[in-house]
Amino acid sequence: MAPETKNFKEDILFHEFNTTETDYNQRGYHLEVALEVNQVRKFAQKAYDEGFYLVFVTGFHVLSEETAEGTTSGLNGVYQFARYDRLYRIKGQVSVPEDMSLPSICDIYQGASWHERETRDLYGINFEGHPNLKPLLLSDEDRDFHPLLKEEKKLKSLEAVSWTPEALESVDADAKAPSSDSIDS
Amino acid sequence: MLESDFQKQNRFFLNMGPQHPSTHGVLLIVLEMSGEYVLDPQPVLGFVHRMHEKMAESRPCGGFMPNTARMDYVCALPYNHGYVSLIERKTGIEVPKRAEYIRVITSELNRVASHLLWLGAYLLDLGAFTPILYGFDDREHILDILEDITGSRLTYCYYRFGGVYQDIDDKFVDATRAFIQRLRKRFVIYEKLVTKNIIFIKRTENIGIVSPDMALRYGMTGPNLRGSGIAYDVRKNEPYSVYPEFDFEVPVGAQGDCLDRYMVRIREMEQSLRIIEQALDRLPEGPVRAKVPKNIKLSPGDCNFAVEAARGELSYYLVGDGTSTPYRLKVRVPSYSNLSCLPELGRGILLPDLVSILGSFDLVIPEMDR
Repeated sequence: MAPETKNFKEDILFHEFNTTETDYNQRGYHLEVALEVNQVRKFAQKAYDEGFYLVFVTGFHVLSEETAEGTTSGLNGVYQFARYDRLYRIKGQVSVPEDMSLPSICDIYQGASWHERETRDLYGINFEGHPNLKPLLLSDEDRDFHPLLKEEKKLKSLEAVSWTPEALESVDADAKAPSSDSIDS
Repeated sequence: MLESDFQKQNRFFLNMGPQHPSTHGVLLIVLEMSGEYVLDPQPVLGFVHRMHEKMAESRPCGGFMPNTARMDYVCALPYNHGYVSLIERKTGIEVPKRAEYIRVITSELNRVASHLLWLGAYLLDLGAFTPILYGFDDREHILDILEDITGSRLTYCYYRFGGVYQDIDDKFVDATRAFIQRLRKRFVIYEKLVTKNIIFIKRTENIGIVSPDMALRYGMTGPNLRGSGIAYDVRKNEPYSVYPEFDFEVPVGAQGDCLDRYMVRIREMEQSLRIIEQALDRLPEGPVRAKVPKNIKLSPGDCNFAVEAARGELSYYLVGDGTSTPYRLKVRVPSYSNLSCLPELGRGILLPDLVSILGSFDLVIPEMDR
């Protein structure tokens, strides 16, 4: 029995959030949700109520930006959820504010506890409301060392690492042109 | 469990690991105990943490291939499979059909080898010494078969972007067919030796029951989830490679205890053999490697790819920035989410039952620590 991929109501379920449908064949998930910090818990609760399971929580590091609300920290929190009963993956992404903290979702999804502790280890994001935010993968002495934070010169802006429909073609064109860029370190 | 005043005063901490044999690697579990009862088990991870995700950010994407096999060393080929498929999805590389068939055959052989190792090790945890000798005997045949074509016995690096490293030969096909016949006869022995053994049943039945809601809250996947009666298998639910072309079932358990998880893995081995048999029968002719550019560029934006590893759902999440080096690579490993339910599951149980639960989870520590 091949799972169906069309005619789900999930895209309506998350209508209160800023959602974009994505092409599964190119990106491996169906719905992208751009979150505000105060929406994270609401989003997780909605996902839990609708029967999604937590795939992972992680982060990634880009250049900090000046926005109308203030300066961002450059860190992003990434949440992925999927379903046991049919094929549907969603990704939530939130920009971490300058105080480096996000609300914890580990009372909704207890499995998020370890993922949040890992993200604190690797990026230094502080998850408010987590009952036990001790180092998990790193040792206690390395509390203030966050290995996945990038050096200043390697940081790129959020736009430079965001998906655009033209991105794929532009890389193809680059590959054909005589290459003068060896950016690999 | 009601505690008397005497017991309350006599709570103590017990370190299980990092060299305890039943943790199957360097895992430490700090147990708060009252007599023989476990009050609060807290796993401590990170003893074999190598920061694979950082390594992925510091080299062109092809250079990360050997790392994939060093996370789950017991079942490395599905890890290869997930990573090459991720890059192929990201860059739009088409894979020849024969190569996908070879990938499925070798991945399934590796899955059977992993389950055989688990079978022996689990029963060793429960005090039965003989099955591990039988299990290793059978697993040795698979390692020999895979060594011939991949060149290594454990940490395989056999798949390539756009195909596999080299084609399989008649010797491989004959040896695999002979092994399938052999293992089917051995299943009969295992059933007589283990499955109907009264001591084994007493140690596993109604122990460590994982409810479907609990599985969902912790994001459990793989045989541990299917033991609880949820038929979720990435090979069926999110078909990748050529899995949709094969006829196989997803075995599920009834109530989610250790015995169910055991039965699911045993029946899964039979299904893997069925897949391998069908793939060998229908193996198409043709090339095993597509032409791919030497310098693979990863376009800006993210991409996800999930596969079914021996322990559950393995997800690679990649963010590209237009160069050949990943800007960010997140590896979601199954054992990590599976074990995270232990503090809840292990509350108020007997210490020997905790050993039984840990064994039934089929943990691979380097995979969790990455």
